[in-house]
Parts: sequence; C-alpha cells; structure tokens
Amino acid sequence: MARVVVLGAGISGHTAVLHLRRSLGKNHEIVMVTPNSKWNWIPSNIWVGVGKMSAEQVTFPLAPIYKRKGIEFHQALGTSIHPEGDKDHVKGFVTIKYTSPEKAGQEAQLEYDYLINATGPKLNFAATEGLGPDGHTVSVCTAGHAIEAAEKFQEVIAKLKAGQKQRLVIGVGHGTCTCEGAAFEYTFNVEHELVQVGVRDLAEVIYLTNEYELGDFGVGGMSFAQRGFQTNSKLWTESLFLERGVKAILQSHVSKVEAGVIHYEQLDGVKRTLDFDFAMLLPPFRGADIKAFNKAGEEITSELFAPSGFMKVDANYTPKPYEEWKAEDWPTTYQVPAFPNIFAVGIAFAPPHQISKPLTSATGTLIAPSPPRTGMPSGVMGKTAALTIIDQIKRGVNGKVHGASMANMGAACVASAGAGFTNGSAAAMTMYPVVPDYEKYPGVGRSSKDTFGEIGLAGHWIKYMLHIMFIYKAKARPFWFLIPE
Amino acid sequence: MDNFADLTGAPRPIDKTLKMRKNVLFQFWRFISLNVRMVAMIFRGDH
Ligand SMILES: Cc1cc2nc3c(=O)[nH]c(=O)nc-3n(C[C@H](O)[C@H](O)[C@H](O)COP(=O)(O)OP(=O)(O)OC[C@H]3O[C@@H](n4cnc5c(N)ncnc54)[C@H](O)[C@@H]3O)c2cc1C
Repeated sequence: MARVVVLGAGISGHTAVLHLRRSLGKNHEIVMVTPNSKWNWIPSNIWVGVGKMSAEQVTFPLAPIYKRKGIEFHQALGTSIHPEGDKDHVKGFVTIKYTSPEKAGQEAQLEYDYLINATGPKLNFAATEGLGPDGHTVSVCTAGHAIEAAEKFQEVIAKLKAGQKQRLVIGVGHGTCTCEGAAFEYTFNVEHELVQVGVRDLAEVIYLTNEYELGDFGVGGMSFAQRGFQTNSKLWTESLFLERGVKAILQSHVSKVEAGVIHYEQLDGVKRTLDFDFAMLLPPFRGADIKAFNKAGEEITSELFAPSGFMKVDANYTPKPYEEWKAEDWPTTYQVPAFPNIFAVGIAFAPPHQISKPLTSATGTLIAPSPPRTGMPSGVMGKTAALTIIDQIKRGVNGKVHGASMANMGAACVASAGAGFTNGSAAAMTMYPVVPDYEKYPGVGRSSKDTFGEIGLAGHWIKYMLHIMFIYKAKARPFWFLIPE
Repeated sequence: MDNFADLTGAPRPIDKTLKMRKNVLFQFWRFISLNVRMVAMIFRGDH
C-alpha cells in the first residue's frame, strides 16, 4: 500500500488527485490537504469581478467529490515538510494546520510515500504598501475578492450615471508581477460593461503594467504568421487598445498605493503618481509559507525552496544572463532532486528565470514580469507528476518518470474582452512552446504554425465552453478524463 | 504628465473587420477552426 499526499486543491493539485485516484486501486491512499472547502475556476473570476457571474457559478464544495471518489480530505494548510521523517516517523511527513470551522487551529502530521506540492501562489499584497483589499485596491484573484471588486465597480457605475467622471486603473501592483493576461482581461471586461451600461464616455480606463511593451504578457510577446505576413502580439494588442480607447502605462513598478493615488516608477527611473477612483491591481506572487526540516529537526527550507518560497525542482537554477537562457533550463519531471518522491507542480515550482527579458530602472528597481504558469501547463504538470507516481507505485523503481517541460508544451490562453453570447469577444491566443526555444525555432523561438491570435465572438464562446468543461472535469463527472488539461 | 504608451503606429481595424468579429455565422466557423487548431497544438506538445 502507498500513500500519496497532495498539498493544494487548485488546478494542478486537483488534477493530480483525480488522475491518481482513477489509476490506483483502493488499497492505495490518496490524501488532499487544502485550506478552502471549495474549488474555484479562477479564470472565470474575471466575470465575477464585473458582476456577470456569481461566486457560486465559479466554485463548488470539494468534500462531496472527494467522498465520492474515495480521496481523504483534510481542510488544512500544509505548514512544514519533513522529507527524512524524524525520530518518531520512519517515512517523510507533512505537518498540517486545520482551517475547517470544526478543527480550526488543530495540527496533525501526515506520513507520505509520495508528496505533491501544488500550493500555487501566496498573494503577496504586502510587497507593495497599500495594495489589495486590505489597502486601497481591489483584486480578482479569488472569488471573494472578485465579489468585492464587482461591488466597487457598481459604485463607480452609479457615479458615472450621476454624471461624475471616473478614472479606472487596472493592471499589476508590483514590478515583478505575473498574470498580466488576467489584468488585460479584466481591463477589457470593465470597458465592455461600461459601454453596455452607456457610461463609457465619462470613464477613463487605464492599463498599468510592468510589461516592456503591450502584448508581452510575461512571455516576451509572440510572433504570429497572418495572411502571408509575420506580425506580433505587440501590434495586435496595441490595435485593441486603440480601438477600445484604453490607455496604457508600460514598464512600471508600483511602489505604494494611497487612497486614490498610485505611486509608480518607470524604467527611466522617474517616480510618478496616478490618481484613481477605482483600481484593480494584481499582487506579486510568492510561494506558500512552508518550512522544511531534516531528520534531526534542523531547518532545511533553503535547500528545498528558492528565496521566493517556490520549490526547487529539476530545473537549472545556475544564475546566468538573459542571452544564455536555454529551453533546457526548464524542469521536465518536477521532482525535487534530493527527494525524488517529492514533486512541485503548477505555480508552486520555482522557475529557473523569467521568460521576458528582465530590466532594471535607472535607479536599479527590477521591472521584470515573472513567468506565467497558466491553467493548462499547471494541469499538465499535475497530471505528469501523477503519472510518474502511478508508474512507480505499480512498477517500483523501474516505473517510468514522465516529463512535460514548458519548453515543449503549448498553452491556449483565451483572454476575455467582454462577456455576452452575441456581443462578447475574446482574444484567443495559443503559443507553442510556452518557453521559447531559439535553437529549435530560430528567430522567434516558437512554432509559427501553433502560435496564433484572433479576436472575436468565437473567443468568448471558447472561454465560456472552457468554463463549463473544466468545472465538469473538476467535479469528476463521467468521462472527465477525456477532457484534456 | 501624459506618459501613456504611444499607440499611433497601431493598425485600427476597419468596419468590415469589426463586423466580422461579431458575425455569428463567420464566428461559428472560427469557433470550430480555433478549437481544431488548439487541440492540434495541445497534442503536438507534452500534454
Ligand atoms: C484572475 C486570474 C485569472 C486567470 N485567468 C486565467 C486564464 O484565463 N487562463 C489560464 O490558463 N490561467 C489563468 N489564470 C492562471 C491560473 O489561475 C493559474 O495558472 C492556476 O490556478 C495555477 O494552478 P495551481 O494549481 O498552481 O495554483 P492554484 O490554482 O492557485 O491552487 C493552489 C491551491 O493551493 C492551496 N494552498 C495554498 N497554500 C497551501 C498550503 N500551505 N497547504 C495546502 N494548500 C495550500 C490554495 O488554497 C489553492 O487551492 C488566472 C489567474 C488569475 C489570478
């Protein structure tokens, strides 16, 4: 009998437990530890944030699914990993702290044969003074945050209807943020709603980003072949901003937010301020607060985790300049080298470096989008780790070690630009691979056949279809496994 | 100070493009086509 513990029921961890349970007999234990009672399809939080969907439409309770599937569920936070065990445990174990109302604050220790860390991002609002729902800006990172954002957005609409001009600033709240695609989506959904309610003329919509240019999205931009010409995501994105009358401020690091004022610095080193009536700024991410200890009880956190809190896996972490970055630097198995029975997948693994070229301002401030690890790659990583574990449990040490590198994996990103069955639109983009490989694809780093973008109503339908499909899959309904990650 | 990104070099879509982006029949075709391309892309890489 083997016991697999997964920390984090997000896109990657939940995918992993479902595959593990499907392929391993009931004599093996699959254990999920996650702090929230509900699963959240995060991409649709954008629609919650403009009042187009309710929190119930993007979340569902996990306990009934895990009960039906025979997965042991602990509503708790993983707080420490002990990969060598200790004097009381021969096997590795994790310490968890319950968050469920019945057991809140209680601790337990769970032994494992295999451990998957899928704890995603810690929303690091604290990195920028005044950022976030406890400060002066809203967020759409969780369904709860998105509800608050929708309420504040309605207040802005009421003021616009009363004839007051309003400035809405949407973007990222730190120079090292990722997920620019989500900020882009929220910008255009807000703009779309303002048009729908007939108050667009009094509203100024500004996209504030750390990207060097529009269309970078933290992946260094994309090249597309279109009607016999090579074009790029910069031109394409700029065209959308021009068409929809959205202004953009680029190359920015937000250093502080006060009530109604954003303080930011740009690459030229000049510190500027921007007044706002409504601001949705995404936070930078760090890894979950998990510590690691050896058999003697000494802390080994820095051996397992990067300073960012993300877990170090089979990547090449040797620091090197942008010009020397290689596709092979990126991990394939997501195993921790010193402890191959521990995996880190999704946002929880430490990337070897950025994808976009990192830049520093004239005063030395780092303005560098972190590499996005979006839903599709996160799901694929979760499945890959699960497949390796399944094979090793079934075949012992000869079990196949599966691999899925972001340098050999595509991603489909459908960025909503407004919801509506006949008047919605979205920018449907795909890139292959996510991490450019300049040796395989000289010049642009990606396959021009598989990297493309298109704006239109079809994109909205795809985005809505993905919402339905992934919630169906996450609920483990019949044939869920036929839906690709 | 106005330090907004300069969008003057960006192409503005013509009316026909904007109409086609909303044309239900044309977009239904694009929906099928985009899905096929996306699925092909997924299966070409690690998945
Ligand atoms: C607003 C927004 C919109 C987005 N839109 C898109 C999109 O359109 N398309 C797309 O592909 N991607 C999108 N993304 C990105 C996508 O949501 C992430 O790529 C994906 O959720 C990452 O999966 P994950 O499993 O690594 O982390 P998550 O899905 O965040 O899951 C992490 C889980 O771990 C839990 N956890 C945290 N700490 C602990 C701990 N100590 N112990 C145990 N569990 C813990 C969390 O509660 C959570 O359940 C969006 C992101 C945001 C914020």
